[in-house]
Amino acid sequence: MSAAPDPHPTPASRPDRAVLSLKGVKKHFPIREGAFQRVTGWVRAVDGVSFDIRPGETVGLVGESGCGKSTLGRCVSGLTDVTAGGVYFDLPAEASRLLDNIASGTATDAEKARVAQIEAAHRIDRLQGAGYKRFRRNCQMVFQDSFASLNPRHLVVDIVGRSLRVYKEASGTELTERVVELLEQVGMGRQHLYRYPHQFSGGQRQRISIARALATNPDVIILDEPTSALDVSVQAQILNLLSDLQKQHNLAYLFITHDLSVVRHMADRLVVMYLGKVSEAGVTSDVFDAPHHPYTRALMEAKPDIEGAASEQAQGLDGVVPDPARPPRGCRFHTRCHMATPSCGWEVDDVIRRLEDIPGLFDALSGVERKSDFAASLTFGDAAAAERLVSILDSDGIPAAMRSAMGRLERRDRTVSVAFDEVPDVDLRITEPGRVASCVLSPIEVFQGVNE
Amino acid sequence: MVDLPSPTQPGTIDAIAPESARRVRLRRFKELAAKVLSNPATVLGFVIIFAMLFMAIFAPWLVAPNVPDPYQMPRDWAATRMPPGTPGHPLGTTNEGGDVFYGVVWGTRMSLQLSLIVVFSTVVIGSIIGSLAAYFGGKVDEFLMRVVDVFLSIPELIFALAIAAILGPSFGNIMFALIVVFWVKYARIMRARVIQIKGSEYIDAARIIGDSNINIYLRDILPNSFTPVMVQATLDMGNVVLIAATLSFIGLGQAGIAEWGVLVSEGQAGIASGRWWASTFPGLMIFLWALAFNLVGDGLRDALDPRTEGR
Repeated sequence: MSAAPDPHPTPASRPDRAVLSLKGVKKHFPIREGAFQRVTGWVRAVDGVSFDIRPGETVGLVGESGCGKSTLGRCVSGLTDVTAGGVYFDLPAEASRLLDNIASGTATDAEKARVAQIEAAHRIDRLQGAGYKRFRRNCQMVFQDSFASLNPRHLVVDIVGRSLRVYKEASGTELTERVVELLEQVGMGRQHLYRYPHQFSGGQRQRISIARALATNPDVIILDEPTSALDVSVQAQILNLLSDLQKQHNLAYLFITHDLSVVRHMADRLVVMYLGKVSEAGVTSDVFDAPHHPYTRALMEAKPDIEGAASEQAQGLDGVVPDPARPPRGCRFHTRCHMATPSCGWEVDDVIRRLEDIPGLFDALSGVERKSDFAASLTFGDAAAAERLVSILDSDGIPAAMRSAMGRLERRDRTVSVAFDEVPDVDLRITEPGRVASCVLSPIEVFQGVNE
Repeated sequence: MVDLPSPTQPGTIDAIAPESARRVRLRRFKELAAKVLSNPATVLGFVIIFAMLFMAIFAPWLVAPNVPDPYQMPRDWAATRMPPGTPGHPLGTTNEGGDVFYGVVWGTRMSLQLSLIVVFSTVVIGSIIGSLAAYFGGKVDEFLMRVVDVFLSIPELIFALAIAAILGPSFGNIMFALIVVFWVKYARIMRARVIQIKGSEYIDAARIIGDSNINIYLRDILPNSFTPVMVQATLDMGNVVLIAATLSFIGLGQAGIAEWGVLVSEGQAGIASGRWWASTFPGLMIFLWALAFNLVGDGLRDALDPRTEGR
């Protein structure tokens, strides 16, 4: 995963460095149960994500709620430790290639020796002293909830000027003047210096948050759904402000959102996440013109269209995001995919998910004996229930792809044995220059929509 | 964004700017004070407290202090069991010739010292332990909170009584017993608040800026978690005196000192014989003291309610 092909177009400035580089980032949260808080499982919120953010560019990170995009944002900003992989700050291309070689096991001994050095100098959870300070100043964040992210007891001058105090850049009148400058940059002014956050509208509060982020003169700002809580008209103003500031300061943005129409205009490149993994990445306009992953396509079709024309044959997304503690095998999207093929990773859990939807049948299930993720014996309370499951699995009640993936389906009295063809997990692959997607189908098949 | 026109003219703002932060904070404080004082019961509480404070501070001018120890009751063996209104003894005297007015006045001074020392120590100890538990979490939190649970499982009065009884009758021991009993509440309150605030986004925002942990604690966590502690402290100013008087009354105090509980105890024998004053006046003081701090504490709680605060 870490060695995933790099989908970057050539950036305009400082092409040799990434402001932030994610290499196989994983964040798993423990599920604890019982009196002794034993760890019984892991929620794989982020499960191996790699991409770079280059100076001055906007990377849009999109996905449904619960796909791990906000967790990823917190990992990138250093608020949360990663479980595996690493986030690197200001990483030269040469060092980046080296790290990829290590991950893919093709590194030479000399290269391995260099890695410790690179990690100490660039990996954000290994940085110390001045190096950490430099990262902290250069990587700022704007949160979704502008009310919660501003201390209700602090005046605007204290909020925006706080980092100037922390880094001992200014104090007294000089600090006030610097804060006024920052406020003016975000379209506010001197008259707002001595007010409390609750005295502002949501849009103004978000401007204050942006001014606070600008105060350290950062290279990159992580924007975690910065406009999702705002009115549509205010959204546009904030987005325009962000674009203007980006040009003025050559800022890089990681724009996290569930709103495709927002990133369409903001992002240079798009990273689409589903259940903790990247399902597709590429230049925004290319992705919008021709999605290479059925999930991206479904997301775009789910977007309500004002003209209403496109949405008529839209299929959108149905069903819910599966439990990230037991993510589907193969392609994680196969459970909801309209284009799923027999080789997308159908497994025992898909049978169980179907069972849960059928009243009475799930309650009749008395035991599951798994041989693997792909084969198991399901025992029911009575033979009739078992027969009912067989008849459902043998009918149009399940996707045709799932039926063809089923290598075995037998009932012996109260026990049903199922076995699916074992398939490897679907990894990201280059679909065309500068594009990656994790789909077994070719881009043209996704475009035409097989099985539809 | 609808931005209302600024009420202040450009140009004039510069002149007031250096003062503004202070002014805004002062205005906020005034608004809060007005809110607290809008409740008549709270005002009554404040009036009683100020009267008590006056009495405590100016005790030496109200009644000449006993030498050498002003906290010992003066004994006038020539004037025992005198009723109120006797010249020189406006509130009468006790069986042992102690001046009830002296006990009331110097008892106020004593109660103020007692409650200030106990409440200050318990707030400090409780806040530190509660903050540590919240900050470190995990095993440290688990251990500290189990200790707190043990303390909380014994009724306040009985616990204080047991400690004071073991240490022997003295005013200092009562104070110590009260500190041991009362700190746990603050640990509980502080821990809950710190955990809640630690998880809020403005703490994340401060970390993103790169501010130090100690600064975040002092500038963000502490000021935002102190409100419930302050309310509890006000209520405890009354509770402490109530329990101290109870312990003194049942004989765990220091006999002969100018303390309300001791005086009530000293006067109780005379009540059956019609000498009501020796117990009634100190008893009334205990009642007023506890009432006043409860009224103010409740008023503060209503006014500082986190649901309405800061909006």
